[in-house]
Amino acid sequence: MTADRPARHRLHPLSPLLHSAKALAVSVAALSWQGYAWLGPLRWLLLVGALVAATGAWAVVSWYNTGYRLTGRELRIDDGLLWRRTRAIPLERLQSVEVRRPALAQLAGLAELRLEVAGGARTEAPLAYLGLADAVRLRDELLAAGRAPAADAAAPAAAVLHTVRDRDLVVAQFLTPEVWTVPVAAALVGYQAVIAGDWGLLALASTATAMLAVFTQPIRRTLRHWRFAVSDGPDGLVVAHGLVEHRQQIVPADRVQSVRAVWPLLWRRRGWLRLHLDIAGYARGAGEGESAPPVDTLLPVGTPAEAARLVEVVLPGAGGLAPDAAPPPPRAAWLAPLARRHLGVALTADVVAVRSGVLTRRLTLVSRPRIQSVRVTTGPLQRLLDLATVHVDTAAGSVAVVHRDTAQAWRLAATLADRPTARVAGGPGAGT
Amino acid sequence: MTDDDAFTPWPRTLAWRPVSPRLVWVRLIRLWAAAALGVAALTAARLTLPDGLVAGLAHAGTWAVLAAAAVRSWSTVRAVRAWGYAERDHDLLVRHGLLIRRLTLVPYARMQFVDVSAGPLERAFKLATVTLHTASAASDAVVPGLAPTEARRLRDRLAALGADPAAGL
Repeated sequence: MTADRPARHRLHPLSPLLHSAKALAVSVAALSWQGYAWLGPLRWLLLVGALVAATGAWAVVSWYNTGYRLTGRELRIDDGLLWRRTRAIPLERLQSVEVRRPALAQLAGLAELRLEVAGGARTEAPLAYLGLADAVRLRDELLAAGRAPAADAAAPAAAVLHTVRDRDLVVAQFLTPEVWTVPVAAALVGYQAVIAGDWGLLALASTATAMLAVFTQPIRRTLRHWRFAVSDGPDGLVVAHGLVEHRQQIVPADRVQSVRAVWPLLWRRRGWLRLHLDIAGYARGAGEGESAPPVDTLLPVGTPAEAARLVEVVLPGAGGLAPDAAPPPPRAAWLAPLARRHLGVALTADVVAVRSGVLTRRLTLVSRPRIQSVRVTTGPLQRLLDLATVHVDTAAGSVAVVHRDTAQAWRLAATLADRPTARVAGGPGAGT
Repeated sequence: MTDDDAFTPWPRTLAWRPVSPRLVWVRLIRLWAAAALGVAALTAARLTLPDGLVAGLAHAGTWAVLAAAAVRSWSTVRAVRAWGYAERDHDLLVRHGLLIRRLTLVPYARMQFVDVSAGPLERAFKLATVTLHTASAASDAVVPGLAPTEARRLRDRLAALGADPAAGL
């Protein structure tokens, strides 16, 4: 099996030393002063020595067993001693490659290469440690073989698409459960105090602070979304908002996985809704190159017409916010008596729309070309009723289309998993 | 094998490949090792404690552990038989689960990377596990109990088929 393989490289020979130096620190910390007091200096030293020797031996053996090789378009990393693992990473899938130099490694002239693969929040494959020159060379090779790194954020100069009226924002935040529960809670506390007949200062103060704390969430949301404006920039949508801390973020249009529309119960009389975005990876801050937390709100409050316009920009071909969603079969009422009428799924050529929620209604629009995998699950009760749930997974999460007829669920899953590479609209969106 | 009925609407042309029956032994050994540990701990508790409620509970616990292990053994055998995978032109299908049946479809173009892993027990039985990772954390395309040659073949095939430029991010 070792016929025509490209050269397998080892990590730098000093790596086990560095790893066991880390282990030394950890073991000393674990034994702590208490251990020192119990064991006495000599035995303490012996124990630390034994621990370090053991971890050192382990590090050497695992260093011996770890290797990487670059085979054309693939990086293969073998590691593990008892649990052997070979990880094959196609170079096209690398999102970023970073050379990091922790303090100890810097002293030894070494570096750690961290490979970021899309989706995972974790760094999937750190190569620790390589010589600095090797690390830089390998990084350049990997980047050259894969796709080019993303360009820097351009200056956002843009036509404003939509601004949120601040008055609506305040009204909307007043119509949140947090605010509405406060009078109820106050009444309860007051009633109890009257019954008990004593108004302790402490009780009063703690009640007041608790109620103030309840208001912090709506107030923070109001401050964060103050002067909310969405405009059209060269790299995608630019979302600007915030009173205290004004932020400008770029929504990379080609990274939007799904859009969630939420109709809270208390907003329903006004017909308001809010829109959330699910984005893979990070959204870049417009000013600096530093990574900001991803944009998650596209519209803090708005009317369906405004929302539909924004949705059409981020997810072209979504077909509006009131899709003709087919509900599950009537027998699903055994499992979801209240929700059944509000569940549903609709398909267009580019988007799957999933409706759910009884009190707070939700509509999730998933971009079909972004679907990573589709799962069909059938629980025991569902099997009795010949129902199944289809889960649609994207890099930003998963949406469940619950309680569909089994045969229909299968067709839906097959349709969704099909033609995944077609990024441009085209072809009929085969009905469910 | 009564377990394919839930998914019969699917075209019959699909060739489901089973996982190796040796996986049953891996799972059983793991299960009984855990059960033995539990029984040993409970027995030790029973012998060292004075007679009383706690010792009685430990005694009952021992039998409960044994009964649970027996039931699990039976379901393990069936669960391994229920596990299957199928390679189609554009996607990999993996099905598993008895009580809750699960089926995962992963288009090859969505593959981020492939892991082939084997623990000590799996290696003793000459088995390996192939895990297909996509950009979604929810995808769970895991195929356990493959012969090493089959695992390598699957990995290489997946890697080759996943070669189209990354889409869907």
